[in-house]
Amino acid sequence: MHSNQVTAPARTAVVGLVGNPNSGKSSLFNLLTGLRQRIGNFPGVTVEKKSGKLKLAEIRTPVGTMDGEIAEDVRGVREVEIIDFPGAYSCYPTSLDERLVVQELTNPAGDLYPDAIVYVADVTKLDKHLLLFTQLRDLDLPMVLVLNMADLIEETGLKVDVERLSSRLRVPVVPVSARQGTGVDELKEVIADLLRNPEAYRPEEPFYEPGTRARDVLSELRRVLPARNNYHALLLAHHASWLKHIPEKTRHLVQESRVKHGFHSLRAQVEETMERYDTFEPIVRDTVRRGTNQSSLTDKVDNVLTHQIFGPLIFVVIMVFLFQALFAWSAWPMDGIEWIFESLGTGVRAILGPGWLTDLLVDGVIAGLGGVLVFIPQIAILFFFIALLEEVGYLARAAYMFDSIMQRFGLNGRSVVALISGHACAIPAIMSTRTIANWKERLLTILVTPLTSCSARIPVYVILISFAVPDVSWGPFGAQGLAFTGLYFLGITAAMLSALAFKLVLKSPERSFLMLELPEYRSPVWRNVGVTVWQKVKTFIVEAGKIILLISVVLWGLSTYGPPGAMDAARTQVQSQVETQGLDDDQAADLLASEQLEASFAGHIGKAIEPAIRPLGYDWKIGIALFSSFAAREVFVGTMAIIYSIGSTDDELRIQDRMAEEINPRTGEPVYNQATAWSLLVFYVFAMMCMATTAVTKRETGGWKWPIIQFTFMTVLAYVSAMVVYQVLS
Amino acid sequence: MPFPRTTTAALYTIGTTGVIDRFTNENLAGKLLDIGVRPGSRLSIIRKSPFGSCWYVKIDRHCLALRKQELACILIK
Ligand SMILES: Nc1nc2c(ncn2[C@@H]2O[C@H](COP(=O)(O)OP(=O)(O)OP(=O)(O)O)[C@@H](O)[C@H]2O)c(=O)[nH]1
Ligand SMILES: [Mg+2]
Repeated sequence: MHSNQVTAPARTAVVGLVGNPNSGKSSLFNLLTGLRQRIGNFPGVTVEKKSGKLKLAEIRTPVGTMDGEIAEDVRGVREVEIIDFPGAYSCYPTSLDERLVVQELTNPAGDLYPDAIVYVADVTKLDKHLLLFTQLRDLDLPMVLVLNMADLIEETGLKVDVERLSSRLRVPVVPVSARQGTGVDELKEVIADLLRNPEAYRPEEPFYEPGTRARDVLSELRRVLPARNNYHALLLAHHASWLKHIPEKTRHLVQESRVKHGFHSLRAQVEETMERYDTFEPIVRDTVRRGTNQSSLTDKVDNVLTHQIFGPLIFVVIMVFLFQALFAWSAWPMDGIEWIFESLGTGVRAILGPGWLTDLLVDGVIAGLGGVLVFIPQIAILFFFIALLEEVGYLARAAYMFDSIMQRFGLNGRSVVALISGHACAIPAIMSTRTIANWKERLLTILVTPLTSCSARIPVYVILISFAVPDVSWGPFGAQGLAFTGLYFLGITAAMLSALAFKLVLKSPERSFLMLELPEYRSPVWRNVGVTVWQKVKTFIVEAGKIILLISVVLWGLSTYGPPGAMDAARTQVQSQVETQGLDDDQAADLLASEQLEASFAGHIGKAIEPAIRPLGYDWKIGIALFSSFAAREVFVGTMAIIYSIGSTDDELRIQDRMAEEINPRTGEPVYNQATAWSLLVFYVFAMMCMATTAVTKRETGGWKWPIIQFTFMTVLAYVSAMVVYQVLS
Repeated sequence: MPFPRTTTAALYTIGTTGVIDRFTNENLAGKLLDIGVRPGSRLSIIRKSPFGSCWYVKIDRHCLALRKQELACILIK
């Protein structure tokens, strides 16, 4: 009998990376999967899910079999799915993030239920990080304990007896450094073995036995609860009210039983936790010897960076530097990208010759794509800095320093992270709020984050500021640059004040917490920074690219075609005008273009909304741009390109110049005067013009209520403010 | 030797150190225990946050930010 028959697994094996926050799960995940990762969503909830493929060598070492034959050494490759779970402290979750971990690990029928767990612990903090470990171990899951940050073992003079730890905890223990990449091969082997014969790794006895009261509840409920063992049943009894895989009927039974036996969830949790600490603390003391005080550097740095006075000042300096660098460094790559797309457009036009396909390609697709891709340098640089600050450990300090202020506005210190990231893109910023445990604080953060000026607003600002502010400067300060900074402040100020307004309206009895760990300062793992930047840029290109491409094509169609007869009528009218006024060819083409735009579907839409936007100083052409911007504000520039260049011969003229030439037929004044430009700027600062963000708000808040409120609030704010600005300035 | 007295950590000032005796609030106790704050841990107050109301504390060797109310439920002996 040979033991090497290959039994095809029913599904790809799932390996979960689980551990406390900041233990290095994502770093290890990046190391194991590289760029072969997908970001999706955990089913039913809103949290980002990262999964990737890991190839394990399937090596069957020769085994002496009963009949004396030696089984052949079979080599193969097995692919497993590896999931980066959010960080959790214990099986008693406080935030959405942690709930998800408990939800998935207590649901053996779920898709994400792991076949094996790679438990990642920070080797310098084993005395804290083993709490969740013992809990998961009691759930009877095959596990390997990874002692991450093994590079710090020597550095800090730590002594760890790995073998002893392994025998006392009765799981394989592998020291790994996700930073230096050591220990990975051994880890892969252990994982492969874990998956091959999970039975060999089952725990013999639990770390913790439920107390008397809990036992009464459990003995009553074991029959109805779909539990693997006592501890699993205990967790289901604790969390039945919110776990998604527990049917309503069972929830009632659990509730009744809890009341009947006087089971107090909180008290039981505290008792359990204390008992667990008592169990594993001696093990840690026995196997880990502490060396020199490792955090003295952190102490020194924090004396300055979190200083009562210097702390916030340094924060401001860092932010100023960040935005300075953002604009300074992104200038030339942006010019480069613009140049590439302009040449591409000219090239395509030259090759294909005039025609509707050329127009669609050049004015629609290429102009639209160029409009999106030109943001890449800025998004990349901003996320580079944010990822860097996070990696180093600074963002937690910012949350600590500003918690008091944030509380006054109804937010949480952790909101700072969202409000900074919002300046790159509101979508990941909104996702980052899931670490805020208090629902009201989280909701307020989600609601106001889109008011911060995301990078999609930058090109809109750039174009309009040249009409709003004269190009003068005093010393190093240019008026236009100051206006730019002013718009950013306007955005963040509006966000804070709106939070305050919502705070006063919404009531919530729920307690709010800070309780924030301040991790040691660490020099960054550059791979993590790189992966983050790459992923954000990729998501942006794909998501925004899709919308923009679609809108450009639709918009091009709407502005090229019109109701039957209307376009022909426009053409004959222009013809007669050309004859009577004796216009030359260029003038005739321009006239034709503008008359046709007016006669097109887009023109009709613009005309229809013109009465509503006239008080803001906009004409029907701006109306078209405004209308399409509600899908995604970054199409503003592309729309302008389409509106002002269709059919015209002078498409090499820049949009800005073309806009400057635009004359209002009623007043004879330029359309883009100071008042209109400021009014438009204010409108774009405040308006909710991003379908993708609305979709994320809906997902994160679990319904249409809050995205609708957010959209309405921001749009009304934009409309009213823009009107006030226009009326005052004109 | 004076009889050990317990006081709430909120009454502590910067630089003082003590050993955690127990917690006065079950809800907060559960969370504090989870992040590694437990009876027997050594707590020292390092500094106050820039705009008040939060404290930078050290529990054993780990740094933590706690609000005043959170500190208030920790009894020190
Ligand atoms: N010295 C050292 N630092 C590491 C190592 N692995 C990760 N880090 C650092 O630890 C910090 C946390 O790493 P992450 O991978 O983000 O931790 P995580 O477990 O995914 O954290 P959450 O997603 O918040 O739960 C980062 O600052 C990393 O640079 C390591 O092997 N050695
Ligand atoms: Mg992570």
